[in-house]
Amino acid sequence: MNYLQQAINGLVIGHAFALVAVGWTLLLGSARLVNFGHGQMYMIGAFVAWWVMRTTGLPYLLAVPCAVLAGAALGALMQKLMLRLTLQQNLVSLMIATLGFGQLLEGAAGFAFGPRPQMIASPLQGIEFRWGEIWFTAQDVLLVAATIAVFLLLHLVLSRTVFGSSVRMVAEDPKLTQLGGLNVSRVYMGIFAFEGAAVAFAACLVAPRTPILTSMGFEQVIMTFVVVVLGGIGSVRGSYVAGLGLGLFTAFFGALVSPAYTTAAVFAVLIAVMVLRPGELSSAGGFAR
Amino acid sequence: MRLLWLAVAVFGFFTPVLLGGGALVYGTLTVVAIFAVMAYGLDIILSDLGEVSLAHTAFFAAGAYAAALLAVDHEWGAWATLGGAVVASSVLALVLGLLTLHTREFAFSLVTYAASVVCAVVAANWSALGGSDGVVGVPPLDLSIVAPPAPASTNAQLWPYAYGLLLLTMYVVSGFRRSRLGQAALMVHMNPRLAVMSGLDPQRIRLQVFLLSAPISAVAGWLYAYQRAYVGPDLFDNYFLVLMLTAVILVGRRILIAPALGTALLVGQTSFASLGSYGDKVLLGVVLLTILCLFPGGLASIRLRLRS
Repeated sequence: MNYLQQAINGLVIGHAFALVAVGWTLLLGSARLVNFGHGQMYMIGAFVAWWVMRTTGLPYLLAVPCAVLAGAALGALMQKLMLRLTLQQNLVSLMIATLGFGQLLEGAAGFAFGPRPQMIASPLQGIEFRWGEIWFTAQDVLLVAATIAVFLLLHLVLSRTVFGSSVRMVAEDPKLTQLGGLNVSRVYMGIFAFEGAAVAFAACLVAPRTPILTSMGFEQVIMTFVVVVLGGIGSVRGSYVAGLGLGLFTAFFGALVSPAYTTAAVFAVLIAVMVLRPGELSSAGGFAR
Repeated sequence: MRLLWLAVAVFGFFTPVLLGGGALVYGTLTVVAIFAVMAYGLDIILSDLGEVSLAHTAFFAAGAYAAALLAVDHEWGAWATLGGAVVASSVLALVLGLLTLHTREFAFSLVTYAASVVCAVVAANWSALGGSDGVVGVPPLDLSIVAPPAPASTNAQLWPYAYGLLLLTMYVVSGFRRSRLGQAALMVHMNPRLAVMSGLDPQRIRLQVFLLSAPISAVAGWLYAYQRAYVGPDLFDNYFLVLMLTAVILVGRRILIAPALGTALLVGQTSFASLGSYGDKVLLGVVLLTILCLFPGGLASIRLRLRS
């Protein structure tokens, strides 16, 4: 086995996991929202990029901002629908509502884009770098660089800006923050829009590696679920580290043990962590760090 | 009141005949009864304990797999496979219940979801469980105790069993809600601190309710295996999870007949007024969002709101 190649694969996959997870990390940390519509939002982001390229002839790099805008709009729509439940912190209803939102998106995407698998034709996917037995593509380089940039930017926004302070206050206690005079629904709007934009951006960078289907749903981003939880609810740095760790784990577990059981092994680790260290699930200590 | 319930139960049994008695009617109503039983398992967790269990698809699948494997590979009779389904789901529920003893709210949901994913991957890949092909050739249900055998090989023949199981499940759920365990579960849900002050052990109660709910969904899986003569990894599909959750919340929580009505509306729509695969998904999503965002108390709360 080529260990260096597996390490590179793991790093690339890990950055993909982290980038797909970043919006959800913020959403879960600040609004306590387990978003089971995350996979369908990813799918919509990928299909918008594909559709823009196909219908307007725009190049890949210009289709990406269009998909990001559509993702942000989708996030804003989600906020409008779920604001009351979010403010009430009705976590049970919120969780089920996201499942419904996912169903709605999947059905609507089926009408709009059809059942056939499609490919996002990124020119970067065809540019390969080879050194001896190891290789990677320009798309991989873009994915890693963009992920690092997004995480750094988010860290700076959360720790150095007024809006970042507002997000942290809302995460700590939305009702008290509202009593203090802050417009909490506007802060939530920013968070939800970021979730939609971030997952659409991730879809544009990750999806060119595989065919996309409107039915791909939550299973497509199932590892993200693990990243968000293992990283510590709401922890930006934690989800980056968890993404990388998970990428390396899946690459080596798949190569050394069994690719078929990789998902089961990852989720077994997740269960163990959640059961043995339930304190890791508290956002109080780690949010936005 | 009891006479009224009895009348409704008898009327319910003749519903397929009143609707024309065709194969589609019997097929739909049999599936409605089975899926409603599955939903009742989740109902007592969601409505009485106030938690969202995402592992009930795994309990449903455990019942179905136990029935199929024992009937096909070991040629066990239906009563024995029923026992196998209950034991398999109870063991799974005990392990999961102990694992989730200290988790609540979304942490509980995340662990139960993770457990469901692990079960789905194992079922899809382990050849002893049929792998991705599943288990085919489940024989017709035969619950006759004395000779001659009376296999139920059509939906019309299965309907009395499915309907009887639904009534039995409703009786069990109703009894649970009147029991000390049911009242304790509600107290743990509404105010855990008060429950502790009154001498209750919330973790023990949560575990007991979990252990009661799992076999209910598993028995539905057991009958479903006989109904479609095949089990496979598709039993872990999100469809069943969304169906269960929607059925429970659609009419209203802690209303005995609500999961059955909810399931009937959802499955009935796809059978008799389908908008196509995509249209049905859009409709289900709209219904879920409308209920949760506008009428969190379910359809039953609309009447109360209008009255007030």
